[in-house]
Amino acid sequence: MSLLAVKQVYKDFNGLEVLTGVDLDVRAKKRHAIIGPNGAGKTTLFNIISGRFKASRGYIAFKDNNIGSLSPHARNRLGMCRSFQITNVFHNLSVFVNVQAGVRCSQGLRYNLFKRPENMRAVNRRTEAILEKIGLIDERDIPAGELSYGQQRALEIGITLSTDPELILMDEPTAGMTREETEQAIDLIDVATADRTLLIIEHDMNVIFSLADTISVLHHGTILASDTPEAIRNDQRVKDAYLGEDD
Amino acid sequence: MTKRTAITVAWVACFLLFAALPFLIGRYQINLLTEIIIFALFGVTYNLLLGYGGMLSFGHAMFFGIGAYTAGILLTSVTGTPFWAVVVCAFGLTALAGFLVGSLLLKVKGTPFALLTLAFNSLFFAIAFKWYAVTGGDDGLSVKRPNIDLGFWTLNTSDVSTFYYITLVVLCAAILACWYFTRTAMGQTVLLMRENENRMQFIGYNTAVSRLILFTFTACFAGLAGAFYTLHFRFVSVDAISVNMTTMVLLLTFIGGTGHFAGPLLGSAFYIYLQDYLSEYTDRWPFFMGLIFIVMVMYAPGGVSGIIASSANWLRERFRSSNRGIEGT
Amino acid sequence: MEQIFVFFLHGLAYAGLLFLVSSGLTLVFGMMDVLNFAHASFYMLGAYFSYMVLMMTGHLWLSMLICPILLFVIGALVERFLLRKVHSGGHVHELLLTFGLAYILGESVKWIWGNYPLSITIGGFLSESINLFGVTYPVYRLFVLLSSICVGIAMALILYKTRLGIIIRAAVNDRTMVNALGINVPLVFMGVFGFGAALSGLGGVIAGPFLTTSPSMADDILINAFVVIVVGGMGSLLGTVAASLLIGELQSFGVLLFPKFSMALIFLLMAVVLVVKPSGLFGVEQS
Repeated sequence: MSLLAVKQVYKDFNGLEVLTGVDLDVRAKKRHAIIGPNGAGKTTLFNIISGRFKASRGYIAFKDNNIGSLSPHARNRLGMCRSFQITNVFHNLSVFVNVQAGVRCSQGLRYNLFKRPENMRAVNRRTEAILEKIGLIDERDIPAGELSYGQQRALEIGITLSTDPELILMDEPTAGMTREETEQAIDLIDVATADRTLLIIEHDMNVIFSLADTISVLHHGTILASDTPEAIRNDQRVKDAYLGEDD
Repeated sequence: MTKRTAITVAWVACFLLFAALPFLIGRYQINLLTEIIIFALFGVTYNLLLGYGGMLSFGHAMFFGIGAYTAGILLTSVTGTPFWAVVVCAFGLTALAGFLVGSLLLKVKGTPFALLTLAFNSLFFAIAFKWYAVTGGDDGLSVKRPNIDLGFWTLNTSDVSTFYYITLVVLCAAILACWYFTRTAMGQTVLLMRENENRMQFIGYNTAVSRLILFTFTACFAGLAGAFYTLHFRFVSVDAISVNMTTMVLLLTFIGGTGHFAGPLLGSAFYIYLQDYLSEYTDRWPFFMGLIFIVMVMYAPGGVSGIIASSANWLRERFRSSNRGIEGT
Repeated sequence: MEQIFVFFLHGLAYAGLLFLVSSGLTLVFGMMDVLNFAHASFYMLGAYFSYMVLMMTGHLWLSMLICPILLFVIGALVERFLLRKVHSGGHVHELLLTFGLAYILGESVKWIWGNYPLSITIGGFLSESINLFGVTYPVYRLFVLLSSICVGIAMALILYKTRLGIIIRAAVNDRTMVNALGINVPLVFMGVFGFGAALSGLGGVIAGPFLTTSPSMADDILINAFVVIVVGGMGSLLGTVAASLLIGELQSFGVLLFPKFSMALIFLLMAVVLVVKPSGLFGVEQS
């Protein structure tokens, strides 16, 4: 079944048309990648799906709810969570608190004026489990801002997992990583998104082909092709788009 | 002894010292201490906004003033209002005011937030100034403190020490409530807001709700401090709701330090004692207060509590390295 | 009808004054992203310096020349030795610094000149009244309006016709780009800050004989100037002109029609603008 359906989404910024009728169908429990040359509108599409921007026109459905007018937090509570291309963490707070924030939120303990976070056993167990998974359990008390770049990227993934989303949106999770870090990140994403749905933007073709079940190519603000990795690899239009525009 | 129990012991000792002080010092000093406690609570609420929430408000005095005027108006126009009713009404009304003003300010951040809080403060000031029939305008309102009838025992609030103890117990409980607030889930959420309001929304937090809760919470406790201000001075005028009152709380909070919960407590003591000392020599003591403030902004932005914390760290480091030196020989 | 015309002129004169004070405020804000709480204190200093010059010489034109220069120097020194030092601490520290400075300047004025209003009187043609379209109107208020128009035109010429103006406008629009062009940005900042202080000071000189010169004059105009830049759109010069006119007239007719609520009217306007267009009338929408 389809978990996320994007239909004829348009977006322009003061006349600059970035998306011109995007259609996307993300199936439940599948890994779906979006690729495309720089400036094709991939991050804008993510911003529209996650609620940072409103689409100029079009329809977005998540689990059969029309979410086009919902705010980011409301979309999150329906079961989607996104990561950011540029690391976006809580710098002066500990790694533990960074992850705990989302876990706490997903359990409805957002604005509680009586309970103390350190006494929330279930929340903290889950937080620790996520920290184990992303390999930051030993760094739990360090402020997020003091982590290395690779660790911050891992934390970024950890925060995204923290609200226990059905749909995970990842915007270039391996951007700026070394070869080795990228390998680790792929393994991490592989484990972390088992049994969930993943929508991922990537430039790194290794990442794409080792993870994705379906690939959509976004070009000039519209989806050029959507198919299995094998089919995309051999698609002439995709080759033209990439060879014509990117080096 | 763990660090945590050490801190608890220090706080309890501090409270006991304050409780014992009336036996050791004169009336004048007791009055000063009462004032310090009132402004300590006011400062603590301001620091929840500035230090914890990262929201620079130039209008916190509106809540202090609303609390102060609620007390003043109740005590002058409704005869026989009991003490507890004054306190509860002031608390409730400022909570309402905080909620209303806060809901108008949900979308503004940073500099526009600072500006609009200033504008709201000026608006409330103008109301207090012009609405002579109720607020007494420039002349203010003089009130009598009601005694507290406990049924078996009546507390004579006209007595300086008795009023001091009432203030100590009620306001320290309020300060404790503020401290507990910083430890709760909501307190943690406030820190997230300071650090990265944008990201919070994507992990499911409604930042408008978070801001509104924080704003209302700080407003009603500031209003409580305001009510005690009126009760303490037995007088309320436009001073209580003026921008100068905001300036005072901003100065004392910043001088005390915004990085620690105890900052405003130190700041209040520092500010009130320094004001008391300087005003003996010159009418222009605010000038020196401003000078200290500017020097702090430039050279010690952590305030007094920051200086204490970093010198404690420095001493610990030195102690440790000298120990290591001994082991080495 | 005549009364309406008179109040309209009053409004224009006050709008001129507001423009002198807010234009510098908005330029500094657009450029350095610092809301300068001490800006109105420069206006107050202008009025007090002018008082001294008038006491000594009796010439208003002399004080209109000397005081802005003095304030330019003070403004530049403040930027160089105070504001620049806390720049690394972020906006909150910059804001707090200017706030503390406003506080100290206010106290200094009370200390030096006393905590009471001074009256400045000027003689000659400026103190007379003339007949204007059938109403008698004080020449001085027309002079206030005329001066601010002249300053406004001069500013527009500098900003839109000179190289310096291009640099300043570019810095207001995009700081990082100007940095990349190899222009001495700190020097430009210092200059603009000083220039803003000088304009504000000139406003003070002109305000002296027509409003009261007192330690509270800074606070009185500061809030209105803040409303002007919020309503006009922070960093927009055209917005400042429009908002100054709007608020000047609102203030003037507010006093005529609802004497008790003239202040509330101005806040109401600000609230409406913020709800309808949060970036102000001429402000650029931020994404």
